[in-house]
Amino acid sequence: MAERRRHSAGRYAWGVAAAVVLLGLAIVLSLAVGSKPLEAQQVIASLTRHGDDYVDAVLASRVPRTVLGVLVGAALAVAGGVMQGVTRNPLADPGLFGINVGAAAAIVTGIAFFGATVTGYIWLALLGAVVSVVLVYALGSAHGRSATTRIVLAGAVVTAVFSAYVQAVSLSLPEVFDAYRFWVVGSLAGRSLDQAWLILPFIIVGLVLAFLLAPGLNMLALGDDIATSLGQRPIVVRLLSGVAVAILAGAATAGVGPVLFVGLAVPHIARSVSGPDHRRLLPLCVLLGPVLLVLSDVLGRVIARPDEIMVGVMTAFVGAPALFIALRRLRGDRA
Amino acid sequence: MTGRRTLRIGTRISLVLHTRSLLVGAVLVVLIAVLGILALGLGDLGVPPTELPSALVADSGAASFVVKTLRGPRLLVAIGAGAAFGVSGSLFQRVTRNPLGSPDVIGLTAGASAGAVGFGVLWPGIVPLPVGAVIGAVVAIGIVSVATGTGLSSPGKLIIAGIGVQAIALSFVQFVLTRIKREQATVLATWLNGSLEARNLQDVAVIAVVLLVGGTAALVVSRRLAIVEMGDDIADGVGASASRTRTGAVIIAIVLAAGGVAVCGPIAFIALMAPHLARVVARSQSPVVAGLTGSALLVVADIIVQFSPLPQQLPVGVVTAMIGGVFLGWLLVSQWRKGAL
Repeated sequence: MAERRRHSAGRYAWGVAAAVVLLGLAIVLSLAVGSKPLEAQQVIASLTRHGDDYVDAVLASRVPRTVLGVLVGAALAVAGGVMQGVTRNPLADPGLFGINVGAAAAIVTGIAFFGATVTGYIWLALLGAVVSVVLVYALGSAHGRSATTRIVLAGAVVTAVFSAYVQAVSLSLPEVFDAYRFWVVGSLAGRSLDQAWLILPFIIVGLVLAFLLAPGLNMLALGDDIATSLGQRPIVVRLLSGVAVAILAGAATAGVGPVLFVGLAVPHIARSVSGPDHRRLLPLCVLLGPVLLVLSDVLGRVIARPDEIMVGVMTAFVGAPALFIALRRLRGDRA
Repeated sequence: MTGRRTLRIGTRISLVLHTRSLLVGAVLVVLIAVLGILALGLGDLGVPPTELPSALVADSGAASFVVKTLRGPRLLVAIGAGAAFGVSGSLFQRVTRNPLGSPDVIGLTAGASAGAVGFGVLWPGIVPLPVGAVIGAVVAIGIVSVATGTGLSSPGKLIIAGIGVQAIALSFVQFVLTRIKREQATVLATWLNGSLEARNLQDVAVIAVVLLVGGTAALVVSRRLAIVEMGDDIADGVGASASRTRTGAVIIAIVLAAGGVAVCGPIAFIALMAPHLARVVARSQSPVVAGLTGSALLVVADIIVQFSPLPQQLPVGVVTAMIGGVFLGWLLVSQWRKGAL
C-alpha cells in the first residue's frame, strides 16, 4: 500500500509537469548560453517574432545542437529504460553495454573504407548496434544463467575492443577523421539541422515500438513463467526490445557519437517518480533524458570557456555517480 | 617437494627456488634480449646486431644516434614499464584473489593518468608528475572501493565500478585537454592512449627508480602474501599480519602502476595479461616472472606498432587494448565456465 501511495497518480502528474518545466528551462538555457550569452527575453522574442539580426544568427547556430540534444537524450533514456526492464538489470545502459560504441565502430569503418557520407551513417549505426546487441547478449549469457554483473562485463569487453578499433582507425587516418575527432567522444557541437531530420524518423519508430512494448515489459518483470501464463510471449518481447534498443541507440550514436550513462541515470531518476510501471516510466524518460543531455551540454559550454567540453565527456561526470549508486544497491556479487 | 631447491648462504639466509620459475625466467630474459635486438635492428634506420657494440661506445654518428636517442630509451622504457605493469598486476590479482582484479581493469591506471595530467599540466609545480600519478591512482582506488560497497572483494562489482572511475578520469583528462595549448594537447592526446614515442633518458631514470624500489618491495611482500594465501589465521599466527600484508601489497602495486603510467601513459591490459600468462607458463605466482612477461609483451606490442605497414604510427596502447580486450573476454568466459564469477 505504501508503495502505491508513493507512486500515486497525483505524484506522477506533478512529476510530469515538473519534467516539462525542466525541459523548457533546459531548452531556453541551451539557446541562451554560449560564448555569446543571450538574455532569456531576447531568446523568446527572437523565437516568437523576428528580432535583432545578430541575435537571430546566434540563436540559429544553437538550434541544431539543442534539437539534436533533445532527440538523442530521449532516445538514450528510453533505450536504457527498455534495457533495464528486459534484462531486469539496474545497470543496463546502451553505452555501458557497448551498443553505442559498436554503432560508432560501424560508422568509422564506413567512413574509412567505403567512403560513407552523412546519410549513410544511420544505416551503418543500426548495423553496428545490432551486432553489439547480439555479441553482448551471446557473451553475457554464455554458459548458463546471465547474472546481473556478467552482462555488464560482457559489455565492457565489447566496449574495450570496439573503442580500441575506433581509436586505431581514426588515428591512422588523421586526414579523414580530423572532423570526426570530437564525434568519437560524443559531441553536439557543429551539427546541422539536417542531421537531426535524418535521425528523427528512426527515433520516432524506436520510441513508438518501446511504448508498445511497455505492457509486455511489465509482464516480464513478474518472471517468464507468469508472463507466459498471462498470454505474453517473453521471447517476442525480448526480441522486439532488442530491435527498439538497437534503433534508438544506433540513431543516437549516428547523431552525436557514443554517449555513456544517460540511459543508465535517467530511468533510475524517472522510476523514483513513476514507480516500476513502464507505461509511466518510459514517457517520463522521454522528458528527462533531454533535460540531462541538454543541461550537460550547457554545462560543457560554460565551464571551459572559451573552449567547449564535449557532451559525451560531461555525461560521464554526471552519470558515473549514478552507476556507483546503482552498484552499491546491488546485493551480493551476482544479485 | 619436486621442482623446488633451497639455496643456503651460511646459516642465516636461505632461499627457496622454484626451478620452473627460474627456467622460465631465464628463457624470458633471453627472449627480451632478442626482441630488444629486433627493436633496434628492424626498419630503415635499424642498427644491425654486429654494429650495436660500436654504436653504444661511439659518441657521434648515425648508428649511435639511433641507439642512444631514438630507439634505446624507447626500448628501455618499454621493458621497464612492462615490468612495472606486470608486477603491479600480479600483486593486485593476488590480493583480490581474482585474475580480473588488475589495475587497468579497475580504473587505477586511468586515475593515475588523470593525476599525472592534473599535476603535470593543469597545476604544475605542486608535486612532481609521478607523484601526481600516484595521487590519482589512490583517489581512483578509493572511489572504487567505496562504490562497490564491499571494498575490493567482489570481482564483478570491482570491474563495473572501475568502468565508472575510468569514465570520470578520462573526462577530467578531456577537460584538461581543452585548457592547454594546441601543440601540448596533441602530445597529450597520444600519451593518453599509452605511447612510447619520443621517450628520453629521464623517463628511463624514473621507471628504473620505481622498479628498483617497487620491485624489491614486491619481492618481500610476495613471500608474505604466499603465507596470507594459506588463510588469514595462519598468517596472523606466524606473525605475518594478513591485513597489513594486503595493504602493503596494494600500496606497492599502486606505486608500480602509477610509475608505469607516468612514463608512458595508461597502456591497457599489460597488467591484466602478464601475470595470467606467467601463471600458465611458469605455474608460479612469482612477481619476477610476471614482470618479465610484462616486459616481453610490451616490447612485442611496441615492435608491432613501430614496424606495421600502417601510414601513421599508432600509440602502443591501442594495440594492447585490442589484444587485451579479446583476452579479457576469453578470461571472463573461462571464469564463468568455472562458476568463479
